Amino acid sequence: MTNHHPDSLMLMEYSAGNLSEPHALCIRLHLDQCAHCRSRVDALDSLGAVMMEQQSHVAVAESTFDSIMARIDSEPEPRPVSPTPRRSALSKLLGDDLDGLPWKRQLRDVSVLDITDRFPDQDDQVILQKLCAGGKAPVHTHRGEETTVVLQGAFADNRGVFNQWDFVVLGQEDEHKPVALEGDDCITLSVLSAPLKLTGTFGRLLNPFIR
Amino acid sequence: MMKNTSAQAAVKERPVSTLDQKPARSERRRDPWSQLLEKVGRHGDRQAYHALFEHFAPQIKYYAMANGLSSHAEELVQEVFVSIWRRSCLYDWRKAAASTWIFTIARNQRIDMLRKMRRTSAEMPVETEDLWQIPGDNEDEPVTSLHRLMSERRVRESLRHLPEEQITVIAKVYMEQKSHQMVADELDIPLGTVKSRVRLALNKLKVILQDQNV
Repeated sequence: MTNHHPDSLMLMEYSAGNLSEPHALCIRLHLDQCAHCRSRVDALDSLGAVMMEQQSHVAVAESTFDSIMARIDSEPEPRPVSPTPRRSALSKLLGDDLDGLPWKRQLRDVSVLDITDRFPDQDDQVILQKLCAGGKAPVHTHRGEETTVVLQGAFADNRGVFNQWDFVVLGQEDEHKPVALEGDDCITLSVLSAPLKLTGTFGRLLNPFIR
Repeated sequence: MMKNTSAQAAVKERPVSTLDQKPARSERRRDPWSQLLEKVGRHGDRQAYHALFEHFAPQIKYYAMANGLSSHAEELVQEVFVSIWRRSCLYDWRKAAASTWIFTIARNQRIDMLRKMRRTSAEMPVETEDLWQIPGDNEDEPVTSLHRLMSERRVRESLRHLPEEQITVIAKVYMEQKSHQMVADELDIPLGTVKSRVRLALNKLKVILQDQNV
């Protein structure tokens, strides 16, 4: 059961289709596991439908309908009988073995992997971070806005405990010192709108995000 | 006082239906568009499909034009309708009203079109639908959740009571794909004001959502 959810404004931007792909991925991963937020998005999608209905309409030529029918008849794509079992976006992107990824160790307890190149043609930076079970990350703040979803394990900081699929957005004013819970390594997916800034002595070492 | 928008006018003109007083019965019923969409899905009913086209195509064309795709508006209408035809057999009225389902298809086709225009490599590792789900695509989802059926009616109901300034902001986010910051710049009001208007509006919806979860 997830305890930390995206705020309504962000879910609205998601429903409206205004988020970048990496941000949408974070939301989608959370939604797949959170019935509460799925119903919030359902309501927001309905809001979108009602907005579309109540705004202006623009006449469409009847010939457009004919073109559509011609297309349907000429390229008869087999209609899907049932939804094809999809691989989740996460396993499409990263495979099924998160631990086996080419992690780059930055500190005793911390490894990172930059996967920004999986999202071409956009500006966000996308980072996987792994904090080994029971491990500590140095104190740091965030230069911009950092959206994080927990993919595996759990971590705790001054805000509470973040379990798998929990969602958190941290900004410039948020200094924290995450500690992974015992048991599993904690792996998170983070989308950064600007590089991380470190305040502790390990700052330079753990600064994989400024190149 | 801001200029009256068509959305606002439509909200004011909408008559109070007596059905609203008896939600338990009426909300279990399929609305006419959902019935038509089911006919398309089950029997490939072209008459039903045409009726859906007449109702929704002008909305989708405006949607395309409002968010800067004017020169591709007819193309987007076509893509959306081809997609509606092909996916209609997956449509389940218990999971979403037809208009909500069609809105999510229009949104996804718009995102898809923009991604294809923008991309520099042939590779798209993650498909649009991996990121933005169409309601009902997930087979594991428990079938009837009453809130889905009630959502749209309640949203429409609650919108009637929202001040125009809140509706204006929401319309810009949904129809013009403007971020909250862009809306603030355009209306020349602080970002905090935009956010609080949206929060106030969504608060009403959230209350509704809580009701539904009981």
